[in-house]
Amino acid sequence: MGAILSRVLGRLWGEKEVRILILGLDGAGKTTILYRLQIGEVVTTIPTIGFNVETVTYKNIKFQVWDLGGQTSIRPYWRCYYANTDAVIYVVDSVDRDRMSTSKEELHAMLDEEELRDAALLVFANKQDMVGAMSAAEVSDALGLGTLKNRQWSIYKTSAVKGDGLTEGLDWLVNIIRGNEQ
Amino acid sequence: MNDFRVTKPKFFATTKKGENYELRADLNSEYRDRRKDAIKKVIANMTVGKDVSGLFPEVLKNMQTEDLEQKKLVYLYLMNYAKTQPELVILAVNTFVKDTDDINPLIRALAIRTMGCIRVEKIIDYLCEPLRKCLKDDNPYVRKTAAICVAKLYDLNPELATENGFVAVLQDMVSDANPMVVANAVTALAEINEASTTKDIFVINTPTLTKLLVALNECTEWGRIAILTALADYRPSDSKEAEHIVERVIPQFQHVNGSVVLSAIKVVMIYMRIIKTDEMLRQLVRKMAPPLVTLLASAPEVQYVALRNINLILQKRSDILQNEIRVFFCKYNDPPYVKLEKLEIMIKLANDKNVDQLLSELKEYASEVDVDFVRKSVRAIGQCAIKIDEASERCINVLLDLINTKVNYVVQEAIIVIKDIFRKYPNNYEGIIPTLCQNLEVLDEPEAKASLIWIIGEYAERIENADELLVTFLDTFRDENSQVQLQLVTATVKLFLKKPQATQNIVWRLLQIATSECDNPDIRDRAYVYWRLLSTDPQAAKAVVLSDRPVISVQGNTLSGPLLEELINNISTLASVYHKPPETFLGRGRFGADAVQRRAIEEQEEASRESPIQAQVKTNIENLLDLDFNDNSATPTSNTPPSSSKSTNATANVDDLLDLFGGSNMNNDLSTPLQSSSSNNHQNNGLTNDLVSLF
Repeated sequence: MGAILSRVLGRLWGEKEVRILILGLDGAGKTTILYRLQIGEVVTTIPTIGFNVETVTYKNIKFQVWDLGGQTSIRPYWRCYYANTDAVIYVVDSVDRDRMSTSKEELHAMLDEEELRDAALLVFANKQDMVGAMSAAEVSDALGLGTLKNRQWSIYKTSAVKGDGLTEGLDWLVNIIRGNEQ
Repeated sequence: MNDFRVTKPKFFATTKKGENYELRADLNSEYRDRRKDAIKKVIANMTVGKDVSGLFPEVLKNMQTEDLEQKKLVYLYLMNYAKTQPELVILAVNTFVKDTDDINPLIRALAIRTMGCIRVEKIIDYLCEPLRKCLKDDNPYVRKTAAICVAKLYDLNPELATENGFVAVLQDMVSDANPMVVANAVTALAEINEASTTKDIFVINTPTLTKLLVALNECTEWGRIAILTALADYRPSDSKEAEHIVERVIPQFQHVNGSVVLSAIKVVMIYMRIIKTDEMLRQLVRKMAPPLVTLLASAPEVQYVALRNINLILQKRSDILQNEIRVFFCKYNDPPYVKLEKLEIMIKLANDKNVDQLLSELKEYASEVDVDFVRKSVRAIGQCAIKIDEASERCINVLLDLINTKVNYVVQEAIIVIKDIFRKYPNNYEGIIPTLCQNLEVLDEPEAKASLIWIIGEYAERIENADELLVTFLDTFRDENSQVQLQLVTATVKLFLKKPQATQNIVWRLLQIATSECDNPDIRDRAYVYWRLLSTDPQAAKAVVLSDRPVISVQGNTLSGPLLEELINNISTLASVYHKPPETFLGRGRFGADAVQRRAIEEQEEASRESPIQAQVKTNIENLLDLDFNDNSATPTSNTPPSSSKSTNATANVDDLLDLFGGSNMNNDLSTPLQSSSSNNHQNNGLTNDLVSLF
């Protein structure tokens, strides 16, 4: 009965969108990932002052993907976007070892937010195509992912430029979301 | 923590979360339609004045969308509330930048327009790149929007606009292929030029002139007004060039928009100063009449603006509309302000050919119900009489007819007017004096009373019972208005000088009362002067009191020459409606402080060289004074040459000014008060130093 009702409502309201935030420090490759996911191409980007939002349909799920600017001045405003978020994709520049601790702080501060309590976390250790990139395990350690409790999370090593790892990550996300719905 | 929560009073807690809470939830909804509906509700609340600024981040999140309608609504919201959330506006930047790259030119233009409208410092830095892009856009709609955006940027940050070369781009845009872009570039440049300190940003030269003239015929009414206004500021090098431009401007007379027509007329009026060919001037005068007449078929408000402008134009070129007086006849349903303005213009247009028509019209007006209008109509009849010698008798007859209606205010007004006619045509119409004197009792307004008393005094020798008439006032002298009292003193003295035998007693009594019981120094002083004159040398008294008066004439031009020229330059603006130069009522806006300073400096200069404007105004005031108090024939002011009296007036003014600033000890330095006033407004170092050095 409930299923029928929700289907009717679904018709009425149009398709429900799954909301995903892409966060991370500036220059981590968030915007590149977003457009790689959407149009499958590498676009030239400029620092995002504000946000990008695109709809990506993957495996019959309609994702509303938000890419928020990662500059220090804009990070405080991330919180404006937390409401109704199903999952967070946290992008890390695997070459930028110096700022790994900053990245960790921002991640944990974000995860402490009440509104993101139920959101799944997918970490992309990005820029694996570059020399000297940290491995997924190293990044996981640096970010302290092991200490996370009550959180569905996973980490994938990716290269937005080459397109490696993105679909795998997304597949994981789809499974999580399907699982949550049932 | 929990304990506190329990003890906390519950008055502020409410189960209702309020409308904004619900809207916020909807704006964050997973469903597209629900989000859009929520935006519509937010905008609806905004338009009825509810504060929805708290939803700023949520609304902003809906900015990136394929849906043009939704985008427009969010942009609308942004423009309205950006000022309240200057920090968060930065979140919109990326979307703006993306939208200025959109394939749809509408969105590109919308983005750059909205970005310009958000007057928040933080966003300016991000405005430059998109603006540069849009100024070079392929689409003229985007270019023309970007052009206006440059003016907005300049207003916020002139250095940025100049350094980034936007102003230079704008100057190039005047030569754009698209007329709308040209028009907007002109508008923006004119605005920037006005705001700039150097005033050299918008200079029309021959190539741009050609472009402007071509664009003039092809752009919208706004564009036409902008171009015409720019042309009005341009000074053609010679008569030939002026003629050429005027010929291209004249077709605008046919435009349906009144403002375009008036702007075109402004250009022509200004260029007529330069045009030397008589034939051309005649032709222009002929061509200017029909569009002005057409304007009078519009709504009353537009008519009024047209009439005020026509009033100006007629003061400069009285030959326009010469044969069109009928157009200005009042309709019964004209609003009062239009009627009064039409009256003024009718008088300006009156001549010996149309005066009969005009008089019967004015007589008709005098029987209407609107008292103010009736009075003005009666006055108009008098002005006709004074303006047109041949018509004076007919005017007198009309006025007598009106007096016979016995309508109180008509009679009073008619008597005031007849006094002026007597003054203009002495000894011509004394036959009507008995009729006037019959109405002595009904007069209750000071001006009418004073007028009739003046007439009695003036023609005392022809009025047998003049002494009786004046005696009736003696008992009530103390209660009369000072204007009437003055007239009584003078009239009685005139009477005595003309009929010394029987009236000695009256004069003595009157002067006695006036000198001993009157509080008003003017009346007392005048009484003393007369008394001294009479007691020392009656012949001298005669020479002074009964001397010939200067001839009066209708003030065809109520404005002084330089002021009129300035107002002609401002035809089709508010200045031409107020008949005041723009500086007198502008200056509290964006450039308020600058304007005050500029004005102070100007006044300083003006006062120092006694500009012709001031002088002219002064003489005008004197003329008015002459008309009102035309009894004191030989008072020093009317005998002294105008130049000297104007200078005394000017210095008197300056003294007043100094008094105002409480600095009577600074009489020697005229500029002091002006400087102190301006330096109060701006912490201008130079001026402050001047001030300091004074102490």
